[in-house]
Amino acid sequence: MTTRTLAERWYVPAEIRVLRGWIPFAALVNLVVAGGEELRGEGASLRIGVAAVVLFALLRLCLPDGAAAWRRQVARPIALVILILGVYSLVEGQPTSYELWASTWLLVPSALTLYWLSAGLSGTWSAGNGDSRVAELGLARNRLVAPRLEKFALHTFLIHATGLVVAPVVWILDVAVSPGNILGGDIGDAFTLEHFRTVLGGEDFWLWTRNSVVVAVGTTIVGLLLAIPAGYAFSRYNFSGRKGAMFVFMLIQMFPGIVILVPYFMVMKTLGLLNTSIGLIIAYSVTALPLCVWMLKGFFDAVPRTLEEAAVLDGCTQIEVFFRIVLPLSLPAVAITALFSFLTAWNEFLLALVFNTSNDAYTLPVGLSSMIPATGQQWGDFAAASLVVSIPVVVLFVLFQKALIQGLSAGSVKG
Amino acid sequence: MGAAGLLACAALSGVQAQIPGPRPQVTVDESAQAYRRIHIDVEYAPNEAIAGFEVRYSDTAFASIDDAELHSVIRVAETGNLARAPEGGAFDECWSNGLPVYRDGAGNPVVAPGASNWSCSLSGMIPGVEQWITVVPIGADGAPLLDTEGLEPVPGRTDVPDERTPPPDTRPVTYALGSVILSAIALLSFLYWQDIRRGRSRSRLAHLYVAPALIALATLTFYPILYGMWLAFTNADQTRLGDEAWVGLANFLTVFASPGLWRVTLFTFVWAISNVVAHVLLGLVLALALNTSGLRGRTVYRTVLLLPWAIPGYISILAWNGMLQPDGLINAVLDTGIDFFAGVTSARVTVILVNIWLGVPFMMMMLSGALQALSTDMFEAAEVDGVSRWDQFRFLTFPNLKGTLVPVSLLSFIWTFNSFNTIYLLTRGNPYVAFGDPGATDTLITYVFAVAFEYGRYGVAAAWSVFVFLMLVGFSWVYLQRTRATEAAA
Repeated sequence: MTTRTLAERWYVPAEIRVLRGWIPFAALVNLVVAGGEELRGEGASLRIGVAAVVLFALLRLCLPDGAAAWRRQVARPIALVILILGVYSLVEGQPTSYELWASTWLLVPSALTLYWLSAGLSGTWSAGNGDSRVAELGLARNRLVAPRLEKFALHTFLIHATGLVVAPVVWILDVAVSPGNILGGDIGDAFTLEHFRTVLGGEDFWLWTRNSVVVAVGTTIVGLLLAIPAGYAFSRYNFSGRKGAMFVFMLIQMFPGIVILVPYFMVMKTLGLLNTSIGLIIAYSVTALPLCVWMLKGFFDAVPRTLEEAAVLDGCTQIEVFFRIVLPLSLPAVAITALFSFLTAWNEFLLALVFNTSNDAYTLPVGLSSMIPATGQQWGDFAAASLVVSIPVVVLFVLFQKALIQGLSAGSVKG
Repeated sequence: MGAAGLLACAALSGVQAQIPGPRPQVTVDESAQAYRRIHIDVEYAPNEAIAGFEVRYSDTAFASIDDAELHSVIRVAETGNLARAPEGGAFDECWSNGLPVYRDGAGNPVVAPGASNWSCSLSGMIPGVEQWITVVPIGADGAPLLDTEGLEPVPGRTDVPDERTPPPDTRPVTYALGSVILSAIALLSFLYWQDIRRGRSRSRLAHLYVAPALIALATLTFYPILYGMWLAFTNADQTRLGDEAWVGLANFLTVFASPGLWRVTLFTFVWAISNVVAHVLLGLVLALALNTSGLRGRTVYRTVLLLPWAIPGYISILAWNGMLQPDGLINAVLDTGIDFFAGVTSARVTVILVNIWLGVPFMMMMLSGALQALSTDMFEAAEVDGVSRWDQFRFLTFPNLKGTLVPVSLLSFIWTFNSFNTIYLLTRGNPYVAFGDPGATDTLITYVFAVAFEYGRYGVAAAWSVFVFLMLVGFSWVYLQRTRATEAAA
């Protein structure tokens, strides 16, 4: 053997590099598929799945290294077998969308392997025929091809992830517009507005919405009234007990809610605040308080102090400084904190479940979940109501995601 | 809701199934009067068609079942694997053949098929008001087996006066709250005075600003915590409120003697740790993917991947519940009819998977923020030096992320540990194990909820909470010590 040039030693075709990463991934997906087949009790498909996992593992072991020609001679038949398995599982029986997806994970990786091991520069290299000319050409080409292949892999991954995320959303949409209480069935095979009519025409939904709005708005107002001065003081003043108080605020966040649940319930019961909005408002504004204070402190820290100092020199009192300068400047931040406490109160389930035992006092979370008891489940109505409830919240969240997340990480991580 | 379902079934079936024999005979036992309780004895001819009884009542005489309210349902079923409720363990105490009845997983009374009588002490009856009571046998489908019109309810009343003078005494609580507020004010004034003495003039109003928030926290967080600790040493329960008595360590003995203690603790840790590991791994992978330079459609991907966080949690959990039903979407896609919540292992895996789905976006966004804050120079330099992607991640990205990973994963652990909604809305802790024991998917948190609000044993629930709290504090402390130790070693 002649000594190999630096370029030759350095060069691995982008396609082969990509295969090294993809094939284990394809094996993993096929393992998941095999698990699914195990659940379905489909013996034949299960055997195909297991065979595919084994074959992909072998294929990964035999991927060409640019020197040994036998690797290509073993790898290509393995890829061919996988391809045939894929075609077989596709042709056999009537493929559902799930089976179509599963066989794609056999077909695409094997076909690409076959092609890349046979044709082009990577084919030549795999056969062990790569000389310095091939290596130099290949290195230039890699720079062009590698990013594209990586992007392709990345998009495949992200599309799978988004598919998993979107599935329940699509399901809710489908159930909401399907007649009756069908949980399975094909997506988009029927359309009706009956569930929306039932939900929006009934009294319960509006009652729950009214309760939720009262509680969420009340919580936001009370919470901000408590949190703004505290956040400001923590941000601006160095007073005795500041460190201790800040530590306490952080500690509370870590506290298991269940510890105060029972005593909370007893206190509320004794004070006669069960089944009232006031009880929930009090409870929510206090439980959200530490995080709100931390968020606001973070936001106030970002307002430059020089402005305040100038205002003080001009003769403003401390309170004027706060209301005329700090508050207007940090209004967007205050709005974000308000949105945060509104969303928390709007979505809270456990306390609302414990404090409210009568339908008249239900908030939306408890009301909606009461549509799905052990018997007489009204999935269609539930789905329609869920859409009405969550669309505004999701839109708000998505619109303000950046600011919300920034505030949250200031409150929870950096603290 | 169960009552509504039964009624709906009765209305839908249209035909009244009939059973031979007379109606169950109901007699009110005046000698067993108790506060807010009416004791009824029921005798009937046993029949295979009878799957249970509905007790209906109203404060006016009624002829039709629709005019009466459902009080409770007594099931007739095989009692082989059920346990008798302990004395005082349930709300309505019932007996059959002189012994306390069996209870099913939900705590409903169950009578053996061969029995011909049972009796119940019906709770919640308003004193001094005539109540009309009837008992209707129902079939397996929940439909009444006898005509639901022309009923002849039996009158009964309880005249036992209120055992407790004006219901719950608010004075202890008000006194306690008042003293908490006063001591918070005293503390703040002391700190204020200290500041003045030290001559810190700039912080004049600071204590005033912090006061409302601190007082609110003191009254509504510290006080309940202390109150909860006190409750753990008392016999507080559903029927005793405001006059609970000190019982020492009895509740803690109950906790440590409970047969499901270690099982539920173990599952809670399995649940929390597997969730956190999956959250961190998947969140990191997704954050790295979204952070790739020049990725097209980044905003779309990020927005969609945020959805599990943006959608109210209870809605997406219930949606997964629907999708995982035997006739749900997942089974439709797989072309199967699996009940994912039936088996112990499959129910556990399912609740964990659903919770992973819920928690990944939070982790993804936190780590994504931390990734964006890393300097790009470092990576450019590594690129020039020919450092491979994996090594870049191992030696540059990961060590620099540690500062975020440690607090975020601890936070995520605590949240998952304390999470209630996923398990409650998916399985309610089922599959059922034994009466009064935690179910197979119960975590400490959902079990404490059940002890407190389903069994009504507040004192025992408070003792469980203290146990949970101490365990969580211990775990967090060990975790922080460990990570600090590794940081110091690195």
